[in-house]
This record gives sequence, C-alpha cells and structure tokens, in this order.
Amino acid sequence: MADLSVNICGVKLKNPVIAASGTFGFGREYNEIYDISKIGGVSTKGMTLQPREGNPVPRIAEGKSVILNAVGLQNPGVEHFIKHDLDFLKSKGVVIIANVAGKTLDEYGEICAKLNGLVDFVELNISCPNVKAGGMAFGIKPESIKEVTRVSKSGLSKTPLMVKLSPNVESIPVNAKAAQSGGADCISLINTLTGMAVDIERRRPIIANNTGGVSGAGIKPIALRMVYEAAHSVEIPVIGMGGITSGVDALEFMMAGARAVQVGTANFTDVNAMPRIIDEMNAWLDKHGILSVNEIVDTLKLNG
Amino acid sequence: MKDLKAVIKENKLIAENIYELTLTLPEKVNIKGGQFVNISTGDSSKLLRRPFGVMKAEGKDITLCYQVKGGGTQNLAQMKAGQNIDILMPLGNGFDLRGFKKVAVIGGGVGIFPLIATIRAYPEIDFYTYAGFRNKGAVCLLDELEKSKSLTVTTDDGSFGEKGNAVESYLADADKINADCIIACGPPIMLKILKQRLNERGNKIPCFVSLEERMGCGIGACLVCVCKKSSGGNARVCKDGPVFDINEVEL
Repeated sequence: MADLSVNICGVKLKNPVIAASGTFGFGREYNEIYDISKIGGVSTKGMTLQPREGNPVPRIAEGKSVILNAVGLQNPGVEHFIKHDLDFLKSKGVVIIANVAGKTLDEYGEICAKLNGLVDFVELNISCPNVKAGGMAFGIKPESIKEVTRVSKSGLSKTPLMVKLSPNVESIPVNAKAAQSGGADCISLINTLTGMAVDIERRRPIIANNTGGVSGAGIKPIALRMVYEAAHSVEIPVIGMGGITSGVDALEFMMAGARAVQVGTANFTDVNAMPRIIDEMNAWLDKHGILSVNEIVDTLKLNG
Repeated sequence: MKDLKAVIKENKLIAENIYELTLTLPEKVNIKGGQFVNISTGDSSKLLRRPFGVMKAEGKDITLCYQVKGGGTQNLAQMKAGQNIDILMPLGNGFDLRGFKKVAVIGGGVGIFPLIATIRAYPEIDFYTYAGFRNKGAVCLLDELEKSKSLTVTTDDGSFGEKGNAVESYLADADKINADCIIACGPPIMLKILKQRLNERGNKIPCFVSLEERMGCGIGACLVCVCKKSSGGNARVCKDGPVFDINEVEL
C-alpha cells in the first residue's frame, strides 16, 4: 500500500481523488452505492447565493467519448447547503470543496464570506459555460479573473481559495498567473469546453441551451496539456481534471504537475469509478515500488 | 441500488424496431414496475448508460424492451447471448398500487413496457388496459397485456385493434369501468393530452404517470433529467420519479 495522502494548502486529503463539481451532487446519492469516505474530497454542485432552477431540458447530449451538458447551475442556494448538506459531508470525513458562482463581483464576495471557515476549500466557478450572467463572464480575461479572485479572497480569511479555470480562453498560463496574483491559494482546471450536438432529423441542437460543456474521456489530451501549462506557470498547487477515467489517467495528470485530480463524467459511466481509480493508482505505485504518490508529482520530462 | 455484471440470455426482435432483452443477473435483485435500470451499450465511446424500464423480472432474470432509435440502441441490438452488460439497478421510485382494486392502464408505444411489469406485480388487482400503437407492425407483447382483466388495443391507423388512441379509448369507457386509479406511460404528448382530458372531465381518482427524459447519472446527482413541478421548482425524473402524480408535474 503506497501512501496516497496529499497536502494541498495545509489541507490533508487521504488520497488525491476528488469528485468534480456537478457530477456528484452533495455526495448523498453516490453514498448509497459506496461509502464516499473512501474518496479524497467532494467538490459540491455549483452553488449561488439564491436558489436557481437552471436551464430547460434536454440538458445533456452525447458524442464519441464525450458528453455535453447544460444544467445551468440548478442548485438550492448556499444557505440550504449549509443547513442541510454540510453536516452530512463532514460526517463522511471527506475534504469539502464548496463550488460557488456569482452573477456579480459582490455576489462572489458575499457567498465566499458565508462559507468562510465552514468548508475545507471554496472553489470559484468562473468558467461555467452554461449561464449567461456570471460564471464564464469572469473567467475569460486575466484582468477579470484577478479581480474576481481578489474580491472572493477578501471574504475568506480562514478557508483556502481554489480558482477553477476555463479552457475556453486564449492563454492558460496568463489566466493561471492572473488567479495567482489575485490571491488564489490553488487552481483547478479544466472546466468543460463549449460544444454543440445536433439532431439532424429536427435540424436543431439537441441541448435546449443550444451549446453545452463538453467533458469525458475524449477531452483528456487537451486537459493534460492545459494542466501542464498551468502547473508550470504558477507556484501555487494545481488540481487537474478532464476526462480522467482510470488510475493511469490520474497519474498522468499528477506527472504533468497536478497535486490532486478531480473525476466527473467517469462517475456516470461507472458509478464506482472513483474507488476503482484509487485502487488502480495504488496498484501502479506498488508495482513500481513508489512509496508515496507525491513522488510522482511533476516528474514529466519533455522530449529533447 | 447495485452495479452488477449481467449476462445476455436473449436479445430478440419482437416488433418493428423493438427488441426484447433478457439478462441474467449474478443475484436476484427486487425491482418494481416503473423502476428502471441503467445499462452499458457495449460501445465504450458511449459514456452514458441507457435507462430502460423493466418489463419482467423472474428470479435472476430481468427482461426489458427497447426501441432502436440512436447509436446506443443500435449497438445494443447487435449484442448477442453470452455477452456481458453492466447494469445499475433498481433505479427510481416505480408504481405503488397497494390498496387499489381496479386500475386503468394507459400505455402508448414503448410506454407499455413498465406498465406490463406493474400488471405482473399485482395479480390481485383488476387491470383495465388500453395499449396504443402506431400501427400493426409496432404491436407486441399481447400475451403479457392479456394478463389484464380487460384489454383494448388501438392503432393510429386502424391496422390492428380499434382505430384511435389509448387515452380516448379509456375515456370512452371510464364511467363504465369506474376504476379507483389510473397509471400511464407513453410519449410526452400522450401524457399531456391525458392530463388535459382528465381535468376536463373533473377526474377525481389518482393518476400516476411515468416520465422519460435524457439522463446523465441516473441516480439523482447530476440534475440533468428534471421536470417542472406544478408547485414550482424541479423534480429529478431519475430519483424523485420517474413515476409522479399527474397533478404534481407540468407536462
């Protein structure tokens, strides 16, 4: 048994495998299938100050080795989470990452202040491609990334801030540096890539929102490149995600510089994906006589 | 809720574009009529499992029926006896008909399958079944539907049974049957018309409908397959449903 524990911003995770926001709710449903205390952490469904109903249906479509979704931040509001879901997640002993989005800068500050000291991390969703106001509007340009990070951080005296970067941008290194200079304690990436799926019989996009965020195994090469770029442009820890479906995938991201990973779409294909990925990482490390998963972080050597 | 590896026992064409798939589970798992399963399609480039209502459960065998519509079901139709399928089950709430004696059943097209499982589950209930199909080629599972106390089959073009649809056919008989409950499953437009027509006639008996929506996780976590509640807000079709009181949801 290799040591899978990692430490990010002073927070210890028993292993580096975290459920990605939006694919895992607040953990209750998957806990009916396996004890979610096995996984390292849970990034919650994206939350806003007020409850949101989200987009019309259909909200999902499928491509080859990818899916597209446009849920549109349906959520019960942050107060509901604090009252009804936080204790459950705490009882499971998983690291709790509250994923939040706002319509305005002030809303980001306010929602972060409400969560200050209550969770292990706040993850800033500035890259949701599926809502008009907020989300992505802040996540494209380095100036606005820095500003939304600064405002959010000002509400978080006790809780480290994780900024989730969008891949739908000009430069990952520039945006990663912007988050760092705004005061981010760590960075996670990638959020979904904006895409479209078409029903040729109806000559319409399948998703009611027309476009949706692309995720799943098919986006992994893009995500790996971006995670490598981010990890090599900032000093703060980077959490990698995008198409991870196996222990080998997770280790690739960690070699590219990620200190932990998030797993999303794989949960839909295989409800036991995360415990399996943890076992597979362990088996690979044991086979190679590596005692701690931290030893493989950022060990990727580029070709001549 | 269990994630299991099932073995295909039989996968056969039973009507135009409709297949009946029987799977042998490694263990017996109880599943109610109206509950569903999420199965892999045998194509690893398809990341989503497909949700299907169960038509029959006997011992370790479960049977579900599907219409070939897109790539996933096309692939499923190619699968042969002996091949493995990943199956997550049981999912959703299902029909709960405890306490009812006389139940009207209204099914349209592939909507009849979960209703058959429900009819099979309550041998003590008198079912008055109205099954509507597009045409003669789509008619299937009459032997199962005939387990009802009475069965009326309709087709849109009159090529089999009565010409018409299941909703109108039931409404014509409603006073005569005097059922204490209605269950229905079928295309969205059928359920919408059913709701309108029941309201028009001042229907007083409970009516439960099983809904369908494009799903992600199938267990209530991803909030993809929602429907609108009449009281405001969303319900998750996969977890809060797929069976709802017709008055609780917007159709």
